[in-house]
Amino acid sequence: MDFGLNQIQREIRDLSRSIFKDNVTPEKLASYDEYAMPRFDEDLWSKLAEAGLLSTCIDSDYGGSQFGFMELALLLEEVGRSIAPVPLASHCLSMMGIQKFGEEKIRKKILPEAASGKILLTSAFLEPMNNNPMSAHSTSYVFDGKNYIISGRKQAVPFANQADYILLSAANGEDLVVFIIEPGAAGVSIKPLQVTSFEPQAEICLNEVTVESSQVVAVRDGSTLVKWIFDRMLSLICMHQVGVTDAAMKMSASYTSERTQFGVPVATFQAVGHRMADSYIDIECLRLTSYQAASLLDLEEEADIELQIAKIWAADVGHRLSYSAQHVHGGAGIDRDYPLWRYCLWLRHNEMIVGGSSYHTQQLGNLIASGRGLFS
Amino acid sequence: MKIQFNTEQVKLKKELREYFSEMMTPALKEECERDLGEGGGPLWRTALKQMGRDGWIGMGWDEKWGGKGLTPLEQFIFVEEVMRAGYPFPFLTTESVGPILAEHGSDFLKKTFLPKILSGELIVAIGYSEPSAGTDLASLKTTAIREGDDWIINGQKMWTSLAHFADYTWLAARTNPDADKKHKGISLFLVPNSAPGWSCAPVHTLGGIRTNVTYYDNIRISDAYRVGGLNEGWKLITSQLNRERLSLINFGPCSDLFNQIVKWAITTVLPSGESVIEQSWVQANLAKVRAYIECMKLIVYKQSWAMTEGNLDMADASAAKVYGSEAFIEIYRLLGEVVGYAGLIRNSDEICPQASKIERLYRTASIITFGGGANEIQRDIISAAGLWMPRASR
Ligand SMILES: Cc1cc2nc3c(=O)[nH]c(=O)nc-3n(C[C@H](O)[C@H](O)[C@H](O)COP(=O)(O)OP(=O)(O)OC[C@H]3O[C@@H](n4cnc5c(N)ncnc54)[C@H](O)[C@@H]3O)c2cc1C
Repeated sequence: MDFGLNQIQREIRDLSRSIFKDNVTPEKLASYDEYAMPRFDEDLWSKLAEAGLLSTCIDSDYGGSQFGFMELALLLEEVGRSIAPVPLASHCLSMMGIQKFGEEKIRKKILPEAASGKILLTSAFLEPMNNNPMSAHSTSYVFDGKNYIISGRKQAVPFANQADYILLSAANGEDLVVFIIEPGAAGVSIKPLQVTSFEPQAEICLNEVTVESSQVVAVRDGSTLVKWIFDRMLSLICMHQVGVTDAAMKMSASYTSERTQFGVPVATFQAVGHRMADSYIDIECLRLTSYQAASLLDLEEEADIELQIAKIWAADVGHRLSYSAQHVHGGAGIDRDYPLWRYCLWLRHNEMIVGGSSYHTQQLGNLIASGRGLFS
Repeated sequence: MKIQFNTEQVKLKKELREYFSEMMTPALKEECERDLGEGGGPLWRTALKQMGRDGWIGMGWDEKWGGKGLTPLEQFIFVEEVMRAGYPFPFLTTESVGPILAEHGSDFLKKTFLPKILSGELIVAIGYSEPSAGTDLASLKTTAIREGDDWIINGQKMWTSLAHFADYTWLAARTNPDADKKHKGISLFLVPNSAPGWSCAPVHTLGGIRTNVTYYDNIRISDAYRVGGLNEGWKLITSQLNRERLSLINFGPCSDLFNQIVKWAITTVLPSGESVIEQSWVQANLAKVRAYIECMKLIVYKQSWAMTEGNLDMADASAAKVYGSEAFIEIYRLLGEVVGYAGLIRNSDEICPQASKIERLYRTASIITFGGGANEIQRDIISAAGLWMPRASR
């Protein structure tokens, strides 16, 4: 059992932290507020590419740096800490899905360019009113003997308008197939959505989109692939939340140590100190459960129970911390000239995306009712 | 980063589980349950000595003192398993008094006490709290006055748990009433509970657990029974409390209780025809409990790991104590809801075999929120040591 980071993990954390620290400033972030422009810093993106950080989990055969999932997870923590405007999670997970399930031809075509940041990938698995991409589908396909014809609707797709390729799942009865489509293909319409966090997100409507067999990433393993990516997506959301919460907590600790009222720093009021102590405990719980889930996925082990637990904490802690941080700041916490408010947007985003606390509590309850999750 | 046990640790866990399942005969179980997690009965004593002979006491002690020199992680596995088995193991004696004696005691004290602790023959009670000294422990009033080679001890201690069957009391007394700071005038003694002038009266608590008031009326003991430096007792007290804090939060029994309740809820059918677990609120309660216990597990594992690495963070240790003590309360409440009315029945387990246990546990859960260093003090430590926030002077 080892809760520490190894040499490589420390290096990745330190390197990414310093890149984000130098490149993500409140002034830069301000340029994306209210969707003034798409929240995607392409300069920063190429710096990450140069540093080999876009391709942490990709084999060196395709130009990747060939680390494991844990390294990517730690990287996402840093993205969260800085709320950097980069589509790292969706891009990396799509690459990893192709690497693990795609045929060599597809891998060769897409991975090297994606690993170097030349092209951008994203995934479209979620659908309206459904947090579970493995079941109940509103996107379906038929196979006409030569091509696949896809129709339906996908939701919450990050960076759909910026991406060169989209990994997309569609069902035929019980079968789930994952395709690679181009956003500009005939029958694809992308409706941008403006969401809490200012992240570019979209709904994708598919109207009899024709896809060739060569664009199929996984036929037989479609649902395995979707679950494989979705598990990791949950994990990365939690890891991102670890970073966001930690940064917001530290901002609150510093602010209350400086701000004086009644002639003393407000931090010296026990009620304030204790609310921060509770945040500290909350974040420790979130961190440990998130690290645990990531560490299991890193070993390619099953992590259903652990992921649900981590997401419950990510949601609960995100909510609690957001209001604690705002409260102990007083008015400054919500003043748009002070950096906290954008963190609060991300705390909310990570809380709600792919289901909030009650939803995941019920999911975990279902697993327990089916006899899983007993302590060994 | 790898948050899983290695093969040796898994083996140790299994070995312990087997050992304790054999040791916990129905009669011993019954006696332990009767004594409400305190121990002290004849079968409990016999079992402790057997554990001593089998080498299970002092696993983390230095080999020089007859221990096994295992790391805190392995010790933690031990603690988890013995608690899970339902045996009230005398941690305070073996895990905190023992190692501190080994570190700070004179040769005489080490030779007199350590072998007996290791063989399970000697139990020590902790005498810190007094009627007017609780969280502000340094304000204690019990005095020890030097007389030749001896000390004369006078005072009253409150909440001296285990004193009614312990052999000695690890007693904090004021040896310098004129010290410039109140915590600088305190020394520690090992007082035999058989000494003339020692007496004890029971204090009964909400959860049924018995503790004691103990009285010290002109007790005379030799200076050889003083532990550590004169007037330097505070250091020993805080390091003892730090060690104690670590054994307070243990998820072994809780995880077992969770397992049992889940199995019960799956197999038990309500008059309406659906099983207990088919009710969605039951699933939600069990899920919340599962998530709470998972964190408790990770927090204590991380602490044991950090201790093994030699970098236990003060704020994290306090976080573990606050989190664990408050999680227990929620866990008992949520599980109590699942068993329903049965969770109010003291004398029958007809509906659910764990119900009367939950009935009682719920009544005992406050002790460690204020005991073992009140949670308010722990939160003060977290905001100061973990977040570098300034705090008001006390
Ligand atoms: C069952 C049981 C077993 C025990 N066993 C032992 C034992 O074996 N040996 C032993 O020595 N003691 C023992 N204790 C005593 C225990 O350690 C004390 O109860 C504890 O130290 C709290 O002291 P108190 O009860 O006097 O409460 P007080 O100190 O009077 O506290 C009352 C309330 O005030 C709060 N408070 C106090 N100071 C502050 C502050 N600075 N800031 C904010 N809030 C504050 C506390 O958190 C608490 O909520 C035991 C107690 C119980 C109930």
